[in-house]
Parts: sequence; C-alpha cells; structure tokens
Amino acid sequence: MAEATTPDPEVATTATGGGTNLLLQNLFNGVVFGLLLALASVGLSLIYGTTALSNFAHGEMVTFGAVLTWFLATPQPVTVPLVPVEFHIGLPLIPAALLAIAISAALGWVQDKVVWSQLRRRRVGLVQQMIVSIGLSLALVNFIQWWIGGRPVRLTTSIDPRVQYGPISVGNVTLISMAIAITALLGVAFFLQRTRLGRATRAVSDNPALASASGIKVDSIIRIVWVMAAGLAALGGILLALYQQGFSFDDGTRLLLMMFAAVTLGGLGHPYGALVGSLVIGIVAEVSTVWLPPDLKFATALGILIIVLLVRPQGILGKAERVG
Amino acid sequence: MDILLDVLRTAIAPSTAAFALAAIGLNFHFGLTGLLNMGHAGFMLLGMYGFAISIQQGWPIWLAVLVGLAAAAIFGLLLGWPTLKLRGDYLAIVTIAAAEMIRFLGRSQSLSGLTGASSGIRGSDFKPPFEELSPFPDSIVQIGPLEMHGSRSSSWWLTLVTWSLVIIFAIIYWRLAGSPWGRVLKGIREDEDAVRSLGKNVYSYKMQALVIGGAIGALGGITWALGNSVQPDSMGRPTTFWIWTLLLLGGAATVFGPVLGSILFWSALTLVKSVASAVLPPEVLAPTDLEPFSLVLVGVTLMLLVVFRPQGVLGNKKELAFNG
Repeated sequence: MAEATTPDPEVATTATGGGTNLLLQNLFNGVVFGLLLALASVGLSLIYGTTALSNFAHGEMVTFGAVLTWFLATPQPVTVPLVPVEFHIGLPLIPAALLAIAISAALGWVQDKVVWSQLRRRRVGLVQQMIVSIGLSLALVNFIQWWIGGRPVRLTTSIDPRVQYGPISVGNVTLISMAIAITALLGVAFFLQRTRLGRATRAVSDNPALASASGIKVDSIIRIVWVMAAGLAALGGILLALYQQGFSFDDGTRLLLMMFAAVTLGGLGHPYGALVGSLVIGIVAEVSTVWLPPDLKFATALGILIIVLLVRPQGILGKAERVG
Repeated sequence: MDILLDVLRTAIAPSTAAFALAAIGLNFHFGLTGLLNMGHAGFMLLGMYGFAISIQQGWPIWLAVLVGLAAAAIFGLLLGWPTLKLRGDYLAIVTIAAAEMIRFLGRSQSLSGLTGASSGIRGSDFKPPFEELSPFPDSIVQIGPLEMHGSRSSSWWLTLVTWSLVIIFAIIYWRLAGSPWGRVLKGIREDEDAVRSLGKNVYSYKMQALVIGGAIGALGGITWALGNSVQPDSMGRPTTFWIWTLLLLGGAATVFGPVLGSILFWSALTLVKSVASAVLPPEVLAPTDLEPFSLVLVGVTLMLLVVFRPQGVLGNKKELAFNG
C-alpha cells in the first residue's frame, strides 16, 4: 500500500533525539520548539495588541520566510508561477536568509499599506478584517503550493550531527538557532522596554485613542509593527525549516494554530505573552509524546488551549477583565 | 459545450447539495446568531465518522444518522461551554482548533481500528445500506443530457435525497428564522447586551444555535461522505473556508443564500478550472497547478466579497452588520 511508505506529512518531522533520558530530551526539544514558535508568534501578538486583528494569514508569513530562503539558496534552477523563465540563484545560506528576512519585512510593509491600513481607513469591522485575513491565508498558502509544489523544501543538504551533552543530544545548528532566537527575542524586549518607538508601541497597544491624542502617530507605529512581525515570522520560519530539516508549503498554516494557542495562552495582545505561551505549548507538545502517540502532539497542545480558556480566559499574563 | 455540461453536472451534484446543507448549518451560526464558527468541517467530519462507524457496527441506517448528528451536537455543547461567554474571536480560535483536533484524532494511528487513520473509511464499507434503499435501477441512467449511476455513490438516488434535504432544511431555516426564537437570535447578532437586558438567556440561545447548526453541518458531512468517502484530510480548514466563502457569496442570513452560494461557488470553480486548462498552455499552468490556482482565486474572492459586498448576492446590507 502506497500510504505506508510515504511519510505522514501531518507528523512534524522534528528531530526527535537519541538522548539517554527520554523525559529530559523531550523537555529540551520542547524548549527549542517553544523558542522558535515564540519567534514566529511574537509578531502575531504585537499585531493583535496594536490593531486587535486576529491575523489568520500569519502562518503564511512564516512559510514565506523559509520558502524564500530556499528559493534564493538552492543550487537547482527555480521558477515562479506564471513566469516561464528559470532562475539560477544559489546564494550561500546566510546571505539568502538575510535577504529573505529583508524581503519578508518589506512585504509586511506592503501588506499593511495595501490591505490593512486601507481596511482600517474604511472602518471595516474587525470580524470582517479577520475573514479577509482568512481569505488572504487561503490565497497565499495555495500560491506557495503552486510555487514550490507539495514536497517539503530543504534549506541545506548537509546533515547536522548530534552531539551528546549530559543526558541530552542536540545538533550544533539547533544550538545556533536557539541562540539566534533568544537574541532576537531579547532584541524585541529591549525595543519594547527601552526605545521611544517601543514605548509608543506599548502605548498604542494599551489604548490607541489615548496614544493618538498624546501625539503618537498610530498608523506609522502599526506599520512598524507589521514590518517587525513579518521579519520575525520569516526568521522563525527559516530556523524552523533548519530545525525540522525541511518545510512544506502548509507547515506555517498548520503552525498558525499552535501560534494562536500560544498567544491566547500567554494573554492575547500581551507583548511577552507570546513567549510564555509558546514555551508552554512547545513543552506540552513535546513532553506529551512520552506518554501519548506522537501523531497526537498537536491535538494535545490544542486541548490545553481549550482547557486554559475554560479556567483563565485572559491567559497566563493577561489582565483579568471582562472579555465579551 | 463540454465545459457547460461539466458546469451543469457540478451544479446539481450531490456534493454541491451537501455543501449547501453544511452552509445552511453555518447560516444558523453566523447568519442568524453572528457566531464565528471556523471549525464547521469538524462538525461535518464528526457526522460522517459517527454515521460510517455505526454502519460498520451493523446498526440500522436511521440509528447511524442519529449517531452522526448526536456526535456533532455533543461537540457543539463541549465547544460552546467554554467559549460562548467570551468575545467572538475566541470562539473562532477554539472552533478552528477543535476541528483540527478531530481531524488529528481521526488520522491518528492509535484509532485506526475505528477510523482507518489517514486513509479513512472506504465507501464500500458504509454505503451499501443507503444504496439498497434506492428506487433507481442499479445501472447508468440518462436523464436529459446528463448520465449518472442510478444508485451507487454519486448517483441519481443520492442527488434526489440530498436536494430534498436541502429544500427541507431551507424551509426549516425560513420558519425558525421568522419565529420568536429566531428573532431573539437575530437580536443577539445585532446587540447582545440589549437582548440580555430584556431578560433573555443569551448563553442558552447561542448554545441552541450552535448545536442545531452543527447537527445540520453533520448531516451535510454524512451526505457528502455518501457521494465520496470518509477521509479526514478532505475535511480540513480549507473546507471550512469554502463553506464560509459560499455562504457569504450567496448571502448570509437569507433562506436561499447558502443554496445559491453553493451552486455558484462550485459551478464557478469548475468553469474556471475547465477554461484555464483549455486556454492556458501547460508550460504556464501545469495540470497539477490547477487546484492551487483555483484556490488562490477562492481566497481572493473571499477577501473581496467581505470588503465590498458583505451581504453577498441575495443579502440585505442593513441586516448583515458584522459586529465586533
């Protein structure tokens, strides 16, 4: 039967380790996945905080970062839909990744300029905006499938050898990815806490009308948030693609639910909620595989989301307020 | 001529009717009550699992249908319990997450004895009891320019049953929407607090709408499965988004909106695919790219519809005020 031989695309091809202690190894994998997830979802949380939009097209921004890096880095000839020309780009991985992040951030600017700021100006309701983002997500994910096909793309052909540290085994690329993720997250925290723009962002998050009245240009703050969100999502996608050793056209879309779970869990719109929530979701998803079948780990994480909403709908860091 | 015949075949196909039924269910949620159910495919999938598994256990067909509907109703109760008191976008996130959980559970190896894991349940395992009821001959029957099988799979028999169900439920929707009960639901859609201040139990009304709409969605799922097969991946997020698109296309909160929307949506999709494959050379658009290409169009249609014509073809703009 053909089904048995092809690997199941729904089971994320995470590098499950050969550590000596299964629980500790899974806990560590959970932290890694949580950090990368945090990188992808911090933008989602910032966008929610400043515009109150649940952006369902955020997963595609993650995919886009990974796919664009592959597009720029692969030595094979590549094509773009509807353009019957083959390109040979083949940049080294790091310049390709940096260029991909820059292009993604620029596209974040364009997306806000062309779509979202127009909708805000027309005073389109939030629910309508949410459905627009769903339409955008459907269009983008299928565009990416059309672009790269149904098979996962790999950013590098080299294999990351695992090194044993005490009870945990981990590859060097994963360690570097973790360092990059932590640096980027600290950078976001520094930006939010210590810079004028960051303080303005938090002010818009808190109360847009009041921020606007005190002279903050709300629309340009939101534009900056979109650029940051898109860039961070692209970085998250690239690191996830390295960690999972491949990225499919719909991996980001599938990750969107994890991101929503993380952001809701941490406290919708709370700037650090995404980090806390992502770590919880990452650890729950990975550690659950010690007792439950691995193809249920996403289901477990989503189950946690529903339980949290039952007991603490404002999330872990959110302020207790009436929601609804 | 062939293209037109294809379009006509799609317009009356049982699958089109099944989607119309599902959209009538969603119309109870969104059109009537304003609930953002983004997991409608999960209700459909539960319906088809309930039905197919009961048939496999050798239970009579009426009991199997009831099991399918009951599964969806219980799912609705469980979902509504934590979320209906919260703001609308929480329901959106939880329903989409829960529907994905159902799909993950369905395709998980650990339940393969019941659900057949990712390959699903074959049509021949659950269709015979329904097909034996057919009054049509057990062979290809030609009516007008169309020919279909009399009783097997996507047959004249199924066409008759599904469209009758669509008519019955359209009438039920029409009667309920005009009843005092339906007027309370519309009141909740327009202004929840006003209805609450009139002493109505908003939570209980929302729950009733969620359960009824979900059960109709499950019926849509059962009829869809009777023409195809039970396949968890055919009921993923894209399916939910199609139902949303076709409901908004036809016109939410109208009696014939879901039906017209389903016919228009699937006919247009067939038309686009046939024309694109006839006009565009394969170097520009390979046959395998037709599906993603048409889905890109669906996504863009959804975005444009929501922004420029939220009331759809039949709706009344004043009646459908997206709140939030």
